[in-house]
Amino acid sequence: MSRLATIPGAARRRLPFLLPALAAGSLGLVLCGQGLWIHAKAALAQVLLERAFDQSLRQGGAPVRPWRWADTWPTARIAFPRQGERVIALDGASGQALAFGPGHVAGTPQAGDRGNAVYAAHRDTHFAVLAKVRPGDPILVERADGKVARFEVVGARVVRWDASGVDPRAPGRGLVLATCWPLDAKARGPMRYVVMARPVETSLTLSDLRDRKGMITLTR
Amino acid sequence: MSAQDVGAPKPRVASGARPARWLPILCEAFALGLLLLLALAGTGRAEVSEPASGGLIMRAKGGDQVVEAVRLGTDIDMTVSGLTVRGRVTQAFRNDTGRWVEAVYVYPLPQDGAVDTLKMVVGRKVIVGEIKKRAEAQAIYEAAKAQGKKAALVEQNRPNMFTNAVANVAPGETVLVQIEYQAPIAVSAGEYSLRMPLVVAPRYASPGTAATPESRAAIVDPRVAGAINPVTLTVHLRAGFPLGAVASATHGVDVRDEKGGKVITLSKGQVPADRDFVLAWKPVPLAAPSVALFREKTAGAHYVLAQVTPPIAARAGPPPARDIIFVIDNSGSMGGESMRQAKAGLLYGLSNLKPGDRFNVVRFDDTLTVLFEGAVAADAGNLTRARKFVSGLEATGGTEMVPAMAAALRDENGRDENGRVRQVVFMTDGAIGDEQGLFDTIGAGRGRSRVFMVGIGSAPNSHLMSRAAELGRGTFTHIGSTDGVEEAMRALFDKLESPVATNLVARFEGTTSDAAPAVLPDLYRGEPVTLAARVEDLDGVLTISGVIDGRPWQTRIRLRDAEAGKGISKLWARRKITDAEVARSLAQITEDEADTRVLKLGLDHGLVTSQTSLVAIDKTPSRPADAPLLRSDLPLNLPAGWDFDALFNRKAATGNGDAPADPEQQIAQLDLPQTATDAPMLILMGLGLMSLALVLGAGGWLLGRRRNAA
Repeated sequence: MSRLATIPGAARRRLPFLLPALAAGSLGLVLCGQGLWIHAKAALAQVLLERAFDQSLRQGGAPVRPWRWADTWPTARIAFPRQGERVIALDGASGQALAFGPGHVAGTPQAGDRGNAVYAAHRDTHFAVLAKVRPGDPILVERADGKVARFEVVGARVVRWDASGVDPRAPGRGLVLATCWPLDAKARGPMRYVVMARPVETSLTLSDLRDRKGMITLTR
Repeated sequence: MSAQDVGAPKPRVASGARPARWLPILCEAFALGLLLLLALAGTGRAEVSEPASGGLIMRAKGGDQVVEAVRLGTDIDMTVSGLTVRGRVTQAFRNDTGRWVEAVYVYPLPQDGAVDTLKMVVGRKVIVGEIKKRAEAQAIYEAAKAQGKKAALVEQNRPNMFTNAVANVAPGETVLVQIEYQAPIAVSAGEYSLRMPLVVAPRYASPGTAATPESRAAIVDPRVAGAINPVTLTVHLRAGFPLGAVASATHGVDVRDEKGGKVITLSKGQVPADRDFVLAWKPVPLAAPSVALFREKTAGAHYVLAQVTPPIAARAGPPPARDIIFVIDNSGSMGGESMRQAKAGLLYGLSNLKPGDRFNVVRFDDTLTVLFEGAVAADAGNLTRARKFVSGLEATGGTEMVPAMAAALRDENGRDENGRVRQVVFMTDGAIGDEQGLFDTIGAGRGRSRVFMVGIGSAPNSHLMSRAAELGRGTFTHIGSTDGVEEAMRALFDKLESPVATNLVARFEGTTSDAAPAVLPDLYRGEPVTLAARVEDLDGVLTISGVIDGRPWQTRIRLRDAEAGKGISKLWARRKITDAEVARSLAQITEDEADTRVLKLGLDHGLVTSQTSLVAIDKTPSRPADAPLLRSDLPLNLPAGWDFDALFNRKAATGNGDAPADPEQQIAQLDLPQTATDAPMLILMGLGLMSLALVLGAGGWLLGRRRNAA
């Protein structure tokens, strides 16, 4: 109180405005920073993941940690040729993994293997692309062991997270991509958007991939 | 909130300026409140929002399907022999619509049920289904359907869920479809039980639509099995041991003696198919493990099924002292509820130790800590230290399982212990990065240890973890939801206290054999061990030996003495199929090789598998059936009391949506992870706050200036 009295008159009168302004401003900066950091992390990590995935490919599919303290490793490259996007998916879909890339949901097969392979990612980062995916679109999944599975989108639906209807051990070799619904919502919710794709016979072999410049070249 | 704090000091100056001082603070509080409200509204909106109709959105399953009044009556006849049950399910369904229909429905069968027989009755003819490759069967069925022939197809959706499709059912016609299956009996805490899911789904008939597997799956909805589907049920019980109590907790039953066992029927004769049927029976208490042996001869080979039942009598002394090594995964992915529950489970395990026991605790992420040098006595000091260690664990880092397993298996006092039990309880949620490394470690280092794998969370590698437990002669406990960890851990630890028989080995003498499983697990209280084998000739002898309460124990049975049983070859084939699936998931064999093995087993033993289906075709194109199906004309073994009039003269009720059971319960479906980040919310709130700050700052500055000027 006594110190307040020593402050010059104008500043003292401004104080009730400036202090809250300063507090709100800095809090706002911190929040914005956190929000942007989530996006930055998601984008930056993909660079490291690309590197780790390529190394994993060279090692015949052995897990390669993208950074030393990571609890996950890249397992697949998912490409959306029509949308011109691709992203490296990680093993497991814990919150930690999802911050850096789509997660290959534990307990589901690898893409192209028997059952439904399920990948999940955040709607506002790695799977924002799902908003643009339409039935008939191709999706390619390149696995760490070098196999390439090709899929065609058959449809999508909106489900509750705990009533997904997605059976990882269903007959066939399907692909399921999941993200949060509604796609442009700002808050968390219980609904999920699930894109389903069926396998397309492909004659691609490992040798087709030798001159890899990204999988988009493979779709012609 | 910060607004209150900032506003708290009350400057004692310029009392005239009071409203001006409080105004901005109020404004700010109001603005913050507004923001908060907006945020909450956003959350609320997201939770209730329904899918908009858009290019990619499809209607929820079954939404636009035509529900037709095709009705179903079911008779179930089960024969229990030892640890297997052979079931015969006869489904009669009648098309009460005015159109020709294809009826497609899904029905659950007991876990590990294997369908091996399909019969279809059309008019006076019985058509027996043939086992074919899945795709081939589908093609045959589709062709017959297109030609207007009666056809039936049985496919496996999941090992415990099957789909029947019957094509070209004429208006007013009744078609009988009979399937037979083989399934194991559940045993728990000395009680044997069979569960027959009765919520059988008839009739989502979709006239004229092509039945691709997808559309078939989509129109299947067991929920329509209304409360009126009448079911009759008979169980022939040959338990393989002297029977104690026989009872059903779900239905009133009559139990009568028959040759070789008992026969159980429903007291009411006929019940609605609105809940599962459960029958439980107990052996009279026995002093020593009794071995039951069943045999079956099919296609030139003998199949035997041995069952070792441990004594259920109360143990005289306290349980033997044991060494128990707790291993806990504290990698980053365990973070949150999983970690809390795993810790709680482990603390329970610690509190459960007896004075004579020894223990140790290992924690691992990508690093490793072994708490004590070797197993230590479970005294107060050590326990306190262990509790403190466990409570302080935090989830962080990667998952490196192999070194942790190696450390847990390192057995310093292995030599001086005869018969002392050593148990490793391995709790993890993680993917096993280096599977072969883990198996090698267990195989080489297991010694006298038993490895109990506990998978927490969605347990990605269920197959691999159960394989690891099998190699370690322990069990695999899978805990799917984090709510259940503590409870499941309690059950596990309680069970681990009382190993009844260890070091079990089965040997066949005088005959070649192909047995499954190859390594017998220990027996715990209330558990039997089942061994299925194919043998060349019945003159051999089966010897099962082991250690009970520290004393060697052995029993020899001449295979000749085995009782005749039904469906043992099927059970053996079923186990072999499981072996092939496990080998597939272990990458010991390729996908194609596994498919080939499953296909061969399926074809040889006539089982519906992931690779094979049953298909029955009536060769003559059918006409509208004008003659009703008469019971006396049916060469099928229908039970007395089956009265079609009674079955079908009831009022048609499709029971749409009024069934108690959730159809999804029978489909193992995946929980999808949270895939929304806080980023949009954070940025929005941040921007809001910053613009508020700007406004406040500008306002304050202006105010100050004006005052100065004044």
